[in-house]
Amino acid sequence: MSTLATDPSDKPSRYDLTQLDGQRAFATRLLAADRRARLLQRAKIGLVWLGLFAFMGWLLYLLNINFAYALANSGFVLVGIWTTLGVSFVSIAIATVLALFGALGRLSPHALAQGVSGFYVSLFRGTPLLVQIFIVYQGLPQIGLQIAQRGYPDIGNLLILTAIQSGILALSLNYGAYMTEIFRAGIQSVNSGQWQAAAALGMGRFQTLRMVILPQAIRMIIPAIGNQFIAMQKDSSLVYVMGVWEVTYRANRVARKDSMYIEMFLVAAAIYWILTIISEWMQARLEQRMGHADAR
Amino acid sequence: MKTYLFSLLVIAGLLLAACAAPAAPASAPADTAAGTAAADTAATEAATEAAAGTQAAGDDLLADILARGVLRISTDPAYPPQSELVTDATLDPNSKCSGDERQAVEFTGFDIDSAVEIAKRLGVEACFVTPDWTLITAGSWSGRWDVSVGSMTITPERMQKLYFSQPYYTTPAAFFVHKDNTTFNAPPDLSGQKVGACSGCTYDAYLAGTLAIPGETIDFVVTDVDFVGYDTDTSALQDLALGDGVRLDAVLTALPTGQGFLNDGKPIKQLGDPVYFEYLAAAFDKASALDTASFQAKVNEVIQAMHADGTLKQLSEKYYGTDLAAAAAEFDIAGLEQ
Repeated sequence: MSTLATDPSDKPSRYDLTQLDGQRAFATRLLAADRRARLLQRAKIGLVWLGLFAFMGWLLYLLNINFAYALANSGFVLVGIWTTLGVSFVSIAIATVLALFGALGRLSPHALAQGVSGFYVSLFRGTPLLVQIFIVYQGLPQIGLQIAQRGYPDIGNLLILTAIQSGILALSLNYGAYMTEIFRAGIQSVNSGQWQAAAALGMGRFQTLRMVILPQAIRMIIPAIGNQFIAMQKDSSLVYVMGVWEVTYRANRVARKDSMYIEMFLVAAAIYWILTIISEWMQARLEQRMGHADAR
Repeated sequence: MKTYLFSLLVIAGLLLAACAAPAAPASAPADTAAGTAAADTAATEAATEAAAGTQAAGDDLLADILARGVLRISTDPAYPPQSELVTDATLDPNSKCSGDERQAVEFTGFDIDSAVEIAKRLGVEACFVTPDWTLITAGSWSGRWDVSVGSMTITPERMQKLYFSQPYYTTPAAFFVHKDNTTFNAPPDLSGQKVGACSGCTYDAYLAGTLAIPGETIDFVVTDVDFVGYDTDTSALQDLALGDGVRLDAVLTALPTGQGFLNDGKPIKQLGDPVYFEYLAAAFDKASALDTASFQAKVNEVIQAMHADGTLKQLSEKYYGTDLAAAAAEFDIAGLEQ
């Protein structure tokens, strides 16, 4: 509003504020000035971005990028988007379910539930994702083989996962552990008075959770899930170690072919960035929706 | 109100997912399989196919391969000219390769051509999977692929996890010195000099006098060198190219690597004959649930035939410009204790 004060044309004295027309004209004037200020701010931010882009372009120019090569081979890398997105979507969905149960376990009065979920979070947050991927892909089948040899081939074969399945399982378990804490924080952010109020109404624990607590907690949780999803898109590239042809793998192996590392890594980086920008936009829209109740 | 409805929807979704997956952590593999179906039906098909394969076709790997008509080979298209991508390949719609597997036309290289030829002589189609090198050398492939044709050097460590075939070619290890050098005439002259090589690789072990290659007696003609370790062979060669004795007196590396560098116009030259050969062979999983014995015997037979009729020599000359296969034909695979 500081812009308003410095603009002499917006002085109330220019308008007859004792009349409705004057009040309306002044209000319109104020709103227009406000909109102008916001537009100006946007334009300024846009200019900063433009400047940064120009700077980046200059750096790329210094790198002596073969843009024609990058463009010609970007199609092959782009195909990997479906794998990257597919793995990320399925993993985030399973992780969300895991996280919900994890959080309920952490907040549960039962020692077993608390112990299991606490152990789960500690183990999967405490070890590197890449190591987890290796163990799921290499270790599980060996356990499966032992089980099969002990006379349960059906259960044993279940543990022999394909590369994509192993990747999804590892990503889900890993992100589920991180997101357990997000869910726990979200549930705890709901005022404890709500629990008491629900109890006073004779609602049970699960009923309270389902009908009172979670609908409020979810507003805190959804933006964080979006954030995790954005992070997962990049982490999903780790499944390349099992030979899954997602964006990074494709870019890397093309680069190896022609020794065009910078070109192909920039192609991969650009693809991830664009994916992230789209995700951010969707997340912003979702948050806007979730914020309706607060905005009123 | 709208928000509340939406929240309810989200929760309903969560609960639905939860009901579909009771006790999610415990039975996660099953859920994951179901989840994947949505993302990649082909992957699930492959899983059921693989599961069916391991159950149905008896306990002999060769019989299993012949029954399915597909030889599954691991490769990593990160190492031209052994294996590299063909980005504009036209896929064969009638291929028997599953969605998880890649067709031969998607790659090119010495390893690829050799593998395709092996599959052809077995009378089956070659399909490729591309796991990381670590996963290939670690063994315990769980039947995900049948054989590695990936220029793998036979080493005692790898023999703990894998069986090796008759080598299909070799990597000769040779010394390279700067072009201007006149004082060194043969590898033994390099004793006590500053020699560079990749650290932790076989060249390092040779210079330290500790190298042991199964099936080969190694003559350590160069001793007591002032060893300089590098991350990759190329960095060592680059330091050598700076000038005679500037940073290095010599580099020990793979003959093709040194020759490639030389062919790029760099001022180095080869010193004498190769000092030893690394034998590169196809590898099989020791922990395989199916019996690999007859498959190994068959692959050995095929590779020996490919040596005998000059196929491997031709392929080597095509991709490396020189015959790297000859010494491999001499290798006595029966004498290798494995």
